[in-house]
Amino acid sequence: MASAVVLGVGMIPFGKHPELSVVRMGAEAAYLALKDAEILPNQVEIGFFASAAASRILGESTVGQNALWEVGVNKIPVINVENACTSGSTALYLAYNAVLAGQVDIALAVGAEKLCVPQTGLLNSGETELDTQLGMVAPAGFAMRAYRHMKEFGTTREQLAYVAVKNRLHAQHNPMAQLRKPISIEEVLAAPMIVDPLTRLQCCPIADGAAAAVVCSSSVAKHVSRTVDIKAAVLCTGSYESPQDMIRWETDYRTCAMAYEKAGLGPEDIDLVECHDAFTIAEILHYEALGFCAPGEGGPFAVQGQTTLGGSVPVNPSGGLLSRGHPVAATGLAQVFEIVTQLRHEAGFRQVEGAKVGLAHCMGGDKAGDTKSCTVAIFSRRTHA
Amino acid sequence: MNDQLMKEIPPVAPGIFTLPHGEETQPRLLGGFCPTCEKHYFPRSKYCPVCLGALAEADLGSTGTVYSFTVVRTRAPLGLPQPYGIGYVDLDGTGLRIFCLLDPNCIDRFQAGLPVRLAVGPLGHDGRGAPRLRPFFTPQQTSEERSK
Repeated sequence: MASAVVLGVGMIPFGKHPELSVVRMGAEAAYLALKDAEILPNQVEIGFFASAAASRILGESTVGQNALWEVGVNKIPVINVENACTSGSTALYLAYNAVLAGQVDIALAVGAEKLCVPQTGLLNSGETELDTQLGMVAPAGFAMRAYRHMKEFGTTREQLAYVAVKNRLHAQHNPMAQLRKPISIEEVLAAPMIVDPLTRLQCCPIADGAAAAVVCSSSVAKHVSRTVDIKAAVLCTGSYESPQDMIRWETDYRTCAMAYEKAGLGPEDIDLVECHDAFTIAEILHYEALGFCAPGEGGPFAVQGQTTLGGSVPVNPSGGLLSRGHPVAATGLAQVFEIVTQLRHEAGFRQVEGAKVGLAHCMGGDKAGDTKSCTVAIFSRRTHA
Repeated sequence: MNDQLMKEIPPVAPGIFTLPHGEETQPRLLGGFCPTCEKHYFPRSKYCPVCLGALAEADLGSTGTVYSFTVVRTRAPLGLPQPYGIGYVDLDGTGLRIFCLLDPNCIDRFQAGLPVRLAVGPLGHDGRGAPRLRPFFTPQQTSEERSK
């Protein structure tokens, strides 16, 4: 059966980049990925370019053609992708499927976002949606999950805060992360309350940024070192069925299970995870959906240390969204950048020792108490002949 | 606010509630119902997502129980009060768990399991400053009843 690999990755540091346009950022990430893959622009046969907010906030459209033209990628299909916080991971999913289907040998996935501008405001899931009109804002869905998790399972504020502390501890060694100064549980709990019980330090900051990956057929890549196998890349939409159990998140469990099944792997095989820790409670819910602990046990599991660097399954060794910041469409590909770096054993002080298998998990949008999109991709270090 | 004044303010979305009228003293939520699948939906769309049959308009009543809630303390969107409460409420007799606003006058009273009833009033605007009626849930027991 055909298979696909990541041939190269590129990323610019996340943060405030007032001097860079979304086009320039996307072009730079694409350039870095092409150079890392050691290929020329005319070898790319299809491009997927993710930007979730450029049309709404910046008034830009078909950004992908503008950005990819700057790095010589033209005359091929270029598709612009919007899928909320999974826009970048959806671009990877599309690139993977184009290669797997035999449509192309080499595909490029790029995500770029510019959010540090005055007109951004609070992110929502669509201006005209009834939930938005009734006051739903991005952190609130997770705050209500946190409240329910605390009530049903006894999860504590300290356990929630620990996730933020752990991810910041990891971020101090990641030059791509926006926030790198270690923080304490006391600081996290004393930060201004945003949406009860989540304080500011438990909510990911916005950022400008871009990241990219070159995906190619393993038959083309066989003589190239530093490639990473893609064992699975899946995307699921929510069910939106009512009533939603907000803390046994069916869409999250379903997507994780599908990725494990396609990869022929299970939670015990995973050496590291980059997951969608947009809010501290989210990472705890994802531990449970990924099968690292029993449902409801995510709080105590967080503080036991298995998900800290040096533990059995480090989660967000990059520092996660909580430290990198969340330039929406760039996040999914920044996760891929980190996992590829780790599986190449090039992550320096934050290296997960002996890492062979990594998992990227992303989630986006809110509808009827469910997520609109969830992606999981599993990667493995290539065993070179 | 008297009923006549209320009727002059447009609802935030059409067809999601009825105001008190005639002998009916309570506002009521409106949704959809599929007679084939015997399932309720809120808000109402045109087709049943299971069988694609046409959805009928359904009275979803006016009472329920809080499943979860939170208080939003960041800058409030759409002219909503700051802070404001929102939650998920299990509607009595429908099997639905819906997202909703909570009474801004008593955000400290909400907790999971609290019985609530629907209210409708001018709350926030349409994004351009024009007032809008929004549905919200308030505790079934008033503060006065509670203190007795």
